Amino acid sequence: MEWLNPYHLQVASFVLINAILGVSIYVTLSTGQLSLGNAGFMSLGAYTAALLSTQHQVPIPVGILAGSLLAGVAGILVGIPALRLSGVYLAIATLGFGEVLRAVLINWESLTGGAVGVAAIPQMGRVILAWASDRGFSPESLGLQANQFISLTVFLILLFSTVLTVTFFLRLSRSRVGRAYAAIRLDESAAEAAGIPITYYKVLAFSQGALLSGFAGALFAHSTSYVSPGDFTYHRAVEILVFAVFGGSEHIFGPVFGAAFLTIMPEALRFISDYRYILYGVLLVAMMIFRPQGVIDPPLLRFFRRKRNGGAQ
Amino acid sequence: MKRNLRVLSVIASLLFALVFMGAQKAKPAAKPSAPPIKAKIGVISIITGAGAAYGEAITNGIKLARDEVNAKGEVDIDLKIEDSTGKAEQALSAAQKLINSEKVVAILGPTLSTEMKVVGPEANASGVPIMGTSNTAAGITQIGKFVFRNSMPESQAIPASIGAAVKKYHIKKVALLYGNDDVFTKSGFDTMKAVTEKMKLKILTVEEFQKGQADYKAQLTKIASLKPDAVFCSALYNEGGVILAQARKMGLKVPFVGGNGFNSPKVIEIAKGAAEGLIVATPWFGDKNDPKVKAFVAKYQKAYGKKPDQFAAQAYDAYYIMTNALKAAGTADRAKLRDSLATTKNFQGVLGKFSFDAERDVVMQPNVLIVKGGKFAIFN
Amino acid sequence: MFLEQLINGITQGSIYAIVALGYTLVFGVLDIINMAHGEIFMFGSFVGLLVVTKAGAPLPVAFLAAIVSTAAMGLLLERFALRPLRTRRGASHLASMISTIGVSILLENLAHKLFGAGNHLFETPFAEISFKIGPLTIYLVQVVILVISLLLMVGLALWLSRSRLGKALRATAENLETAGLLGVDTNRMITATVVIASAMGGVAGVLVGMAFNYINNQMGLSMGLKGLAIIIFGGMGSVYGAMAGGLILGLSETFMVAYGSSGYRDAIAFVLIIVVLLLKPQGLFGVAPAEAKR
Repeated sequence: MEWLNPYHLQVASFVLINAILGVSIYVTLSTGQLSLGNAGFMSLGAYTAALLSTQHQVPIPVGILAGSLLAGVAGILVGIPALRLSGVYLAIATLGFGEVLRAVLINWESLTGGAVGVAAIPQMGRVILAWASDRGFSPESLGLQANQFISLTVFLILLFSTVLTVTFFLRLSRSRVGRAYAAIRLDESAAEAAGIPITYYKVLAFSQGALLSGFAGALFAHSTSYVSPGDFTYHRAVEILVFAVFGGSEHIFGPVFGAAFLTIMPEALRFISDYRYILYGVLLVAMMIFRPQGVIDPPLLRFFRRKRNGGAQ
Repeated sequence: MKRNLRVLSVIASLLFALVFMGAQKAKPAAKPSAPPIKAKIGVISIITGAGAAYGEAITNGIKLARDEVNAKGEVDIDLKIEDSTGKAEQALSAAQKLINSEKVVAILGPTLSTEMKVVGPEANASGVPIMGTSNTAAGITQIGKFVFRNSMPESQAIPASIGAAVKKYHIKKVALLYGNDDVFTKSGFDTMKAVTEKMKLKILTVEEFQKGQADYKAQLTKIASLKPDAVFCSALYNEGGVILAQARKMGLKVPFVGGNGFNSPKVIEIAKGAAEGLIVATPWFGDKNDPKVKAFVAKYQKAYGKKPDQFAAQAYDAYYIMTNALKAAGTADRAKLRDSLATTKNFQGVLGKFSFDAERDVVMQPNVLIVKGGKFAIFN
Repeated sequence: MFLEQLINGITQGSIYAIVALGYTLVFGVLDIINMAHGEIFMFGSFVGLLVVTKAGAPLPVAFLAAIVSTAAMGLLLERFALRPLRTRRGASHLASMISTIGVSILLENLAHKLFGAGNHLFETPFAEISFKIGPLTIYLVQVVILVISLLLMVGLALWLSRSRLGKALRATAENLETAGLLGVDTNRMITATVVIASAMGGVAGVLVGMAFNYINNQMGLSMGLKGLAIIIFGGMGSVYGAMAGGLILGLSETFMVAYGSSGYRDAIAFVLIIVVLLLKPQGLFGVAPAEAKR
C-alpha cells in the first residue's frame, strides 16, 4: 500500500489527540466554566502513564486508564474550590494551577526526572508490532512496511478513542446531564432556582474535562514515547482553548473541527514556516471579529443537515 | 603508383597524428567516470520560535558545507530543511515527512535533545540514519543503531574544564548554578555535580534559574554572600552571557566554569568585558592556528556576516561526515549508509579528529579554553 | 545580603507594578484581559533599545520613543482587534480575550522576525554608577527605576481621581452605559484607556532594559503571565492593588530565591493567586463580591 504515508498518519494522529483535548475543554465550557488548566491535567495523565510503564512495567492500557482516572480525580479536587470563581478569574486560576503543576514536574526530580523528562516510553504501535511479530506475524503479509504498520496501528487506536469520546459526549449533551449543563451555562441562578444541583454538575463537568485531558495525555505519551515538562506549558493550554473557541464553542463538533484545522494548517503551511505563527495570530483575530462563536455553530449544522436531507422543507 | 602511395602514407600519418593528438587532449578534459551520487538529506532545525538562534547557526553550517561538497561533484545532495519550532511533536511530524514523503536517505538534527528523544526512536524504527549535531544530553545514541551524533556530550567536556580549573586555581568550595527547566542545562548540571563530588569539592549552594529569565540578581547575590572559590554554571549562551555580566557587575569576581552552552563567541558578545576569565571545554576553538579552521571561519563570516560558533562548526563537520560516509557506501541506500557511518574513524574536521565509538557516540578531544582579551584562548 | 535582596525585590516589584497597572486599567474599563499587553511591553523595550544603540540617543528619548510606539500599538489593537467585537451582538468576553491572544502570537513572532532571537544588550550610560551606604551597594539605575515607577503610579492615581479625563475614565469603568448616558464619549475613553495602558507597558519595557541590561523577544510571555497574577492578587481593576501586588510579587520571588528554592521562583506568582482566590477572591484591594463585576 504505497499510498499509506506514515507522515499523514502522524499528523492525523496528532489531530485526534488534539480533538480529544478540544472536547475536554468544551465539556467544562458547556457549563459556562472556562478552565485553562487542561495542559496540567494532560501532564498528569501523561506522566502517570509514562512512569507506570517505564518504571513498573505496567501494561499500556492499564497505564492509560490509571492516568485518566488520576486526572479525573484531580479535576474533582480542583473543581470544588473553583466553584467560588467564574469567568476570567477561573481561567487565570486554572492556568495558574497548570503552571504550578509544571513547576512541580520540573523540581520533583526523584519522581519525574525533572526537565530531562521520561524517555523510552513504550510506543503503542511498536509494542503491538513486536507482540505480533513474536507470534509470527509480518507486516508484509498485509502489504505494509514496518513503519507503515506502526503508524497505522497508532492512528487506528486514536481514531477509536476519539470516536468513542465524541459519541459519548454527544449522547451526554442530549441527556439530562447535558441539559443541566446547558441550563447552568445559560443562567446559573435560574438553574439553581429550578432545582438543578449546580455544585454536583459543575464539578462533574470539571472532572470529566480533566479526565479527558488526562486520557489525551496518556495517549500522547504512548504515541511519542517521550514526555517532558516542556510539552505542557502555557502555550499548550492556549492551543487547546483556541481549538474550542475557533472551531466552535457551542457544539461538540466545534472543537473537533478546530483541532483538525489548526493541527493541519501549520503542516500545510510548512513551506512558509517562517511566517506560520504570524498568520496564525492574524487568523485568530479575524475569526473573532467575523465569527466569534467559532466556525461550527448549531445554525451551520442545521444548514448542513437540511442540505443532506434534500433541501426541501 | 609509388607517388600516390607516398601521398597516401603522408596523409595517413597526418590523420593518425591528428587523432592521436585529439585523444591526448580529450583525456584531461574527461569528467570523473562515476556519476555523482544523488541523494536527499533531511535537516530538522529550529527555524522559528525560541531557540531559533541555535537553529540558525546549525542550518548555516550545513548549507555552507553543502555548497562546498556539491561543488566537488562526487555527490549531488538535495537538502530538505524542515522547521521543528523547538517542539518535539513538530519535530516528529517533520521527521515523518522527511522519511516518508521526501524519502531522504538520512537526517541531520534535530537541534534539541528533547526533540531527538522523540524523533530518534521513530527514525530508528524506520531504518533511517539520523545524526544529531547539537544533542549533548545523555542517552541519545543508545536509542538505537541508526542514531548517531557528533556533538561532544557534557559528560566529556565538563570533567576537562573543571579538572583544569581546579588544578590551576586550587578550588576547594564552589557554588553551582543551572537552568533547571531545560534538558541540556539540567543534563550538564548533573555531570557538573557528579564531577564536583568526585573531586571532593565542597558544594556551598545549588541555585537554579529558568530559561528566558532576564534577572539573576537574587541567585547571584545569594551565591556571592557565601564566598565560593568558583562558580560552575550550566547554561545556554543566551542566559549564560547575562549571568556573567550581572555577576561581574555585582562584584562576584571568582572564576566561572561553564558547560557546553558557554563556549560560543556570543557569550563574549553579550557579556563583553564580563566574560574575561570564563573557562570552558569545547571541541570548537575558532581561533585555532589551523588552516582548516581559519578557512572555515573566513568562509562562514563572508557568507553570514558573523563568526561561526560551536553549533555551526559541528553542523558543518556533520555534513562532511555524512557525505563522506555516503561516498564510501557508494549508493543512496539507508542501511548501507548507516553501516558506512558507523565505521567513521579519524575524520579530520574543523573540530579536530573525530570517530564514532561502538555506540555511535563521540570520540573527540576537548580543548579547555579561557576568555582572555575578549576572545577564547587555550587555558593552561 | 538581606538588604541587597530587598532592593532587588523592590526594583523587580516596581517594574511588575507598572505592567500590572496596564492590565488593570484595561480590565477596569473593558472587563477584558488584554493578553497582548506583555508583548506590547516587549516591543516597547526593543524600540527603546534601538533608539539607544542604533540612534545613539539619550535615555529620555528612548522613553519617548517607547511610549509613542506602544501607545500607537495600543491604538491599533483597540481599533482593529477590540472595537469590532464590542459592536457585535453575541460576542463573549472570551472572544475579546482570544482576539488579544491572536495579537500576542502575532507580535511575539513579528518581534522574532524583526529583532532576531536571543538576548540583546541594552546599555545605559550611567549603568556603573553606584553608591555605598554602609555595607550596601545601591546602583543609580535602581534608584531611577524606583523613582520613575513611583512617579508613574502616583501620577496615574492622582490623574484618575482629580482630572476630568481621569474621572470620565473611572465613570466608564464603573458602568459603560451610564457613563455614555451622562455624556461621556465612551469610545474615546476606551481608546484612551488602552493607549495609556500600552504606553505604560512601553515605560516598563525601557525600565526592564535599564534594570537587567538584556532583553529578548520571549520576555513578553512571562511578564504577561506575571502581570495577570498580580492583578488577580491585587484585585482586578484596582490601581492600588496592582501597585501593591507588583511589589509583593517582586519581593516574594526574590526572597524565595534567596532563602528558599530558586527552582520554584516562577511558580510563586501562581501559588499566590491560587491562595488569594481561595481566601479572598476579589483580591487584596478588590471590591466585595456583591458589587464586583465578575
